[in-house]
Amino acid sequence: MPTDPAKFKLAKEISRKDILLCLARVPETKRLFAGSSDGCVYHFDIAAEKPEGVAMEGHTGYVTGLAVAGQQIVTGAYDGQLIWWDAGSCQKVRGFKAHDRWIRNVVATRDGKIIASTADDMVCRVWDAATGKLKHELRGHATLTPNHFSSMLYACAFSADGTLLATGDKIGHVVVWDVATGKPLGTLEVPEVYTWDPRARIHSIGGIRSLAFSPDGTQVAVGGMGKVGNIDHLEGKALVEVFNWRKQERVAKFSADKGKGLITHLAFHPQGEWLLGAGGDGKGLLFFLDVISGKILREEGALTHFHKLALDESGTRFYTAGHNKLAVWEAAA
Amino acid sequence: MLMNSHFCGSSEHDVSRRAFLRTLGAGTGLAASGIGAVHSFATPALNDTLKAGGKSVILLWLAGGASQLETWDPKPGRPTGGPFAAIPTSVPGVHISELMPQMAKRMKDICVIRSLNTRNGDHGGASQLMMRGRLDEPSLRYPDMGAVLARELGRADSKVPDYVSFYNATEGRDFSRQSSSFLGARYSPMKLAESMAPPNMKRLESITELDHYARAELQQLINSQFVASHGTGPVKSHANAYARVHGLMSSEALFDLSQEPAKARELYGPTLFGEQALMARRMVEAGVPFVRVSRAWWDSHGQNFETHQEMVPELDRVMAALHDDLKQRGLLERTLVLAVGEFGRTPNINASLGRDHFANAWSAAMFGCGLKGGAVFGKTDKDGQTVVEAPVGAGELFATVLAAIGVNPKKEYHVGARPIPLVNPGIKPITQVLA
Repeated sequence: MPTDPAKFKLAKEISRKDILLCLARVPETKRLFAGSSDGCVYHFDIAAEKPEGVAMEGHTGYVTGLAVAGQQIVTGAYDGQLIWWDAGSCQKVRGFKAHDRWIRNVVATRDGKIIASTADDMVCRVWDAATGKLKHELRGHATLTPNHFSSMLYACAFSADGTLLATGDKIGHVVVWDVATGKPLGTLEVPEVYTWDPRARIHSIGGIRSLAFSPDGTQVAVGGMGKVGNIDHLEGKALVEVFNWRKQERVAKFSADKGKGLITHLAFHPQGEWLLGAGGDGKGLLFFLDVISGKILREEGALTHFHKLALDESGTRFYTAGHNKLAVWEAAA
Repeated sequence: MLMNSHFCGSSEHDVSRRAFLRTLGAGTGLAASGIGAVHSFATPALNDTLKAGGKSVILLWLAGGASQLETWDPKPGRPTGGPFAAIPTSVPGVHISELMPQMAKRMKDICVIRSLNTRNGDHGGASQLMMRGRLDEPSLRYPDMGAVLARELGRADSKVPDYVSFYNATEGRDFSRQSSSFLGARYSPMKLAESMAPPNMKRLESITELDHYARAELQQLINSQFVASHGTGPVKSHANAYARVHGLMSSEALFDLSQEPAKARELYGPTLFGEQALMARRMVEAGVPFVRVSRAWWDSHGQNFETHQEMVPELDRVMAALHDDLKQRGLLERTLVLAVGEFGRTPNINASLGRDHFANAWSAAMFGCGLKGGAVFGKTDKDGQTVVEAPVGAGELFATVLAAIGVNPKKEYHVGARPIPLVNPGIKPITQVLA
């Protein structure tokens, strides 16, 4: 029985003084790890009556990437460091400077064996999760935008079987990589996510902020924001485009009716029933999409700007991390 | 020969300017031979002559309000600090944002004011305040910094403009409120908004260069004879205006960046801001007293860190290029560069990861003529919310620029019988940053 997106409701809300920028859940549990603007990683036991984050100190900048890899947590931050933590003891296992510039995202394969990190040095690095050894350096994104400014490599995502990795940058360029060989398999262009204002304000906004493979690996969903008039604000419509990446064909495009801002995280339902996007402008946005019909199933403004979400195995509960909030969303029975 | 007579003047300073314009006039031929006109101008002897002459100010106008926390007054590790680190500079104990590594290396020559409290967070009002050093009175509009310095540093017989203002972005252009006010149109800016050079500057193709200069000489002869016999003010004024326009037409090469070598253009970078900053250097080299180069638009209510990650490195590169270029040419002793906008940005970070308008505790940076390199004046609290040491306002900054460049801030103009001081009574320059 498919989970009806209309049934999801806010089940728990934890207020914070900081900004939670990334989030991951230990499989089959209600244990969450979140990266913070205060440079700490926080461990939450959501099953507790009043969950309070336990701080794990190690980074010296915004913690923007976090992945669960088996019994380890791997985090990345604006300090360029990757840190491995023991998921049980929350103690640091290893850490090192992994990128020359600010790390934007860290993801793991579902089996927890491989880690990937993206940063504004415009390199995606693939790591052996057990040893921390570098497996591949993936270079397929220009360091400068067409307007001579530094670009940014915001997003990356593994396919469910861990054989594919997608990376996406500020100007809307996506590369799909073969994880085993580190070779590029295909590219996509999503120019609508990048707004360059040559006249009124002479700078840019936007970028690919989220990526997700469909459960069968044939499709890549790309999240961001559509073209923006006034780039002082996140006033563009939230945007998701879905591609058959091998054919380089767009199979669906979703532009929010009312929801503004960036789609900062995308997750397919485990059985592919729907695609969920989260993000927003100053307000949060939940964006449930039917890729087959091309219809928006639910578009909900909620709480505060979301930076990341974590969907559980059943597809009936998800968690959001955002500006001053951690929240739990559950589908009513 | 004809060109020599066209640029005739009397003082030593004018001789150098003449020489410059003459060189520019010959620029076409030089460019054709692969030698930039300005380079032939930039000989040591000629630069020495210029150094003895007038002073100039380049204002890098950071329109929309750049964040002090992502530039000159970082607060790493604080809730307000944002994601970027602070880096050490060439001045021990002084740190600035990691987005400005080039300026960090040059900090010994830079002066930072971290305690601006200007209390006006409205784009229009704040722009007026920062450009004029004070707010208008109901019955009196004050001239802005460019007009005052054009008046104080410009030469009556100058063939180049006294006040040039670049502002290409459309956002905020009307906020900048440039005004020569009672100083008169003579000190209004030459506004360059659509192109790098004034429109209609080229000589008509139907008129030969020889004819062009012959007509000017004839016009000058007739005017001088008429003035000698009648001595009327309007005729003198008309003659001056004509001479300035004619001089400007002769300095067409001044606005031609292609005459700069690739190395110089690379130094400033390929962006519009970089090119206009390079143009500003050419202008002060030619004797223009005040050039404003506007970099708009910093108003990052959403995505502040992405905006600053994009724009601050450009500012860093352009400021470092100006510093090095002016220094290498021996022009830094007579040129002051000021980087400031109408206000800073809130320490608090909003839910769009933006920062909003903030005028209570923000920063400006300067270097060059009359300033003490490495000076950091004033202090904000640990979160950057308030000034805790030596608050100053727009008037003090205005007076500091005047004093540094050698203009007495206590000087008075007169509007009718009313004396109008250059800055409001009681306002003093920040002596701690003056050399």
